Amino acid sequence: MSSSSTALRELQRDLENKANDLSKLQKDIAKNHQVRKKYTIQLGENELVLKELDLLNEDANVYKLIGPVLVKQDLAEANANVRKRIEYISAELKRLDSSLQDLEEKQHSKREAILKVQQRIQAGKAKA
Amino acid sequence: MASSRGAGSQQVIRMADLEKMSLDQLKAVKEQADLEVNLLQDSLNNIRTATGRLENASAALHDLSLRPQGKKMLVPLTASLYVPGTLDDADNVLVDIGTGYFVEKTMAEGKDYCERKINLLKSNFDQLVEVASKKKTLADETGVVLQAKMKQLSPSS
Repeated sequence: MSSSSTALRELQRDLENKANDLSKLQKDIAKNHQVRKKYTIQLGENELVLKELDLLNEDANVYKLIGPVLVKQDLAEANANVRKRIEYISAELKRLDSSLQDLEEKQHSKREAILKVQQRIQAGKAKA
Repeated sequence: MASSRGAGSQQVIRMADLEKMSLDQLKAVKEQADLEVNLLQDSLNNIRTATGRLENASAALHDLSLRPQGKKMLVPLTASLYVPGTLDDADNVLVDIGTGYFVEKTMAEGKDYCERKINLLKSNFDQLVEVASKKKTLADETGVVLQAKMKQLSPSS
């Protein structure tokens, strides 16, 4: 019957769409992991720098490399900068965490939806 | 520096579980374990390289401390251009501590810095070696069970 085959075709189109959505979600999750890795590495490096700065005397000279220029910086200022950067990176990581959770939930529900559509297609084929 | 991946879920797979798994699952587990072993080996190599560089820096520092002030030397401007100069101050060194920050330290502090970093890297290396060897044994065990299962399913006369 033509009505059931069009319904079947619609289901299959729906399946394709959902599969595309799923692969996009997976790409987003992979990208999230990559950005996360980068931020984690930066966080580690900045914490090392902070530790080194803490070991210094008040009068020690700190220089920052800005492009090709080595600029003398105040120890307090350097401390503040590194701390601010650490805060920023931590906030970014937290944000990434929550968006990763969100993406994984969406991925899970997408998988379930795909399964349901597949089952309906199977049922449709069995009837025909 | 090796930082622990907090988000990764650690699966503890025992021999009993391995036996119960199907051929496909075993293959997947072995591939996953092999991938992880390779990643860990890469990290180990990176740490070894970094440690080597730090040891070079430490040796260079030591060498520098032996030179008298005012000694004639050749200063590299580019990879192929050296300019004659004199050693001005062998007592203070600029140390790169990361993220574009440099600190002026005395020779002793500089040597101490190198020592500290080398020790940190060595401890990271040791930790990684432990994890890597555990993963390797898992990969090997999985491989053995996989082979045994394959022999079972297709008995070769």
